[in-house]
Amino acid sequence: MKGMGNTIVAVVVGLILLSQSIFTVDQRQAALVFQLGEIVSVKKQPGLYLKIPLLQNVRLFDVRILTLDADTPERFITSEKKNVLVDYFVKWRIVDVERFYVSFNGDEVRAMNRLAQTVNDGMRAEFGRRTVHDVVSGERDSVMEVLRKKADADARRFGVQVTDVRIKRVDLPTEVSESVYRRMEAERKRVANELRSTGAAEAEKIRADADRQREVIIAEAYRDAQRIKGEGDARAAAIYAEAFSRNPEFYAFYRSMEAYRSSFRNKNDILILQPNSDFFRYMKSPRGGGK
Amino acid sequence: MAWNDPQWGNRNDGGPPDLDELWRRFNQRLNAAFGRRGGGAHGADQPGGGGFKLPGGAGLIVGILIAIWLASGFYIVDAGERGVVLRFGKYVETTQPGPRWHLPYPIESVEVVNVEQVRTVEVGYRNNVKSKVLSESLMLTDDENIIDLQLSVQYILKDPEDYLFNNRNPDEAVRQVAESAIREIVGKSKMDFVLYEGRAEVADRATRLMQQLLDRYRTGIQISKVNLQNAQPPEQVQAAFDDAVKAGQDRERLKNEGQAYANDVIPRASGVAARLLEEANGYKQRVEANAIGEAERFKQILAEYNKAPQVTRERLYLEAMQEILSNSTKILIDDKGGGNLLFLPLDKLMQAAGANVATEAAPPSPENIQPAAKSDNLFRSRDAFRSREREERP
Repeated sequence: MKGMGNTIVAVVVGLILLSQSIFTVDQRQAALVFQLGEIVSVKKQPGLYLKIPLLQNVRLFDVRILTLDADTPERFITSEKKNVLVDYFVKWRIVDVERFYVSFNGDEVRAMNRLAQTVNDGMRAEFGRRTVHDVVSGERDSVMEVLRKKADADARRFGVQVTDVRIKRVDLPTEVSESVYRRMEAERKRVANELRSTGAAEAEKIRADADRQREVIIAEAYRDAQRIKGEGDARAAAIYAEAFSRNPEFYAFYRSMEAYRSSFRNKNDILILQPNSDFFRYMKSPRGGGK
Repeated sequence: MAWNDPQWGNRNDGGPPDLDELWRRFNQRLNAAFGRRGGGAHGADQPGGGGFKLPGGAGLIVGILIAIWLASGFYIVDAGERGVVLRFGKYVETTQPGPRWHLPYPIESVEVVNVEQVRTVEVGYRNNVKSKVLSESLMLTDDENIIDLQLSVQYILKDPEDYLFNNRNPDEAVRQVAESAIREIVGKSKMDFVLYEGRAEVADRATRLMQQLLDRYRTGIQISKVNLQNAQPPEQVQAAFDDAVKAGQDRERLKNEGQAYANDVIPRASGVAARLLEEANGYKQRVEANAIGEAERFKQILAEYNKAPQVTRERLYLEAMQEILSNSTKILIDDKGGGNLLFLPLDKLMQAAGANVATEAAPPSPENIQPAAKSDNLFRSRDAFRSREREERP
């Protein structure tokens, strides 16, 4: 049993020693090996590494892309002296752990503060040179690219690579937004009025055109109708003329009789007659002609 | 670097190796490496080890422990997932769905990632389009208007290694990228374009830009869809926008009304025109027919007249006079007999004639009798009504 106890002790001691003398570096990490506070090696590749127990210690760094996302939007002034609120984020990663450690004592927060300062300074400069419109749309890309280059150049000195600087929001301060809203409203009102009045105008045009068509249609029909009537009248006149010219004198007589008859057919028509008219000649004497 | 010996990785791709064989090889290699010394710095993390000569019972326990340890390397990759295997923190391989085995802790570890699950990020709202996050959803357009826009981004993973190893928080990156990209796209577009005709294109361009950025960060993320949930003017100006839309409708309505008027008037006019033409044709035919008729009649009469002109003329004259005089009121005055004193109350004569006409015309037209008979009728009908009432009552 004594041999057994020795074995167990040996195993435990061995395990402790082993755990002190090996370390792994994850795919996502890089490591610095310190010997009594002095950097002796940089482990950039993932894997299993040896170190001297007790004498050496290891510090791991996350080398993935990290994000600096400003909590509150920063206020910048554009070239036309307008305030804008800008929200941005920065993608960065540690590329040189040694420098990073030396510069920031390995503290990501300190690194981000530094980055934020650089980017803010850069933005102040870039925005001060441009109008709101430029930073919102026209030159957004180039602003971001300039900022990235600047920040990257600065950050390289600390072992940091700036992958990207992206403007998230460019907003107007609340009081300016209000006036933008008023303007938008006015614009819409203009559009609405324009729509309504052009609608009314077009409707009126359609109506007027319809009225014109009506007039034309009726007038043309009237013209044709009159022509047709005229043709009828002409034909009738020709017929009458042909018939009546056979004996104009008799026609006059015959037609007069016809006309008298249709003129005096009502009791309202009062005829005041003298008995010496031809009709009454037999009233005076049976032989007539008794005048 | 014995632990990085490539033999650790000698596994069949199909599944776990035969355990017995593995165990045997393990023993052999331990024996070969350390002989019977045991307890060296290397390999001491193994609990015991097959090479040691231990009492039978202890050996069995150690064997079981080793078996359990080996079994802890089993894992299952579900459909739609990938297993990413790390050996001492270093990436070795990505495994497909199915039961898998990796060298147990602490040598290898696996991270199972769901690559096909569609993940969603919401920008401008949370959970429900109505619960807006205005600070995210309000954005400036190219023409310096402000619009309110909500979108959701759906994504899957195209590269699990990139997803795991390159970004500390890749899912958060999607949100940041989405916000930034949509604002950039909207910032370059006019308001009307974003709100109305260009929605699909805005989403499309945002998708492309987002993918480009995510690829730049090597997130291993594939954007599958960007949905513009809602693109509208901010609430403060909503009313004005609605009114403008309404105005558009009004415009159409007015035009339609005008068109309706036209559609009413023109066919009517065509109707009137047709009537005019028909009437004219009717007139023409009537006039012609009348003319022909009268001409014929005249010709007939004329033929007879020519045979006996004097008599016919006299007869026609007398007939006509007879008809005229019998139909009209007449006053015969012999002006030679004191015509100067003659008083003719023409108006009375006219009235008398009118009354005559009225009485003669009365029977067929009911209006004429009504004024006189009205009251009478009224009474009569009332009486009738009363008598009917009386009859009805018992």
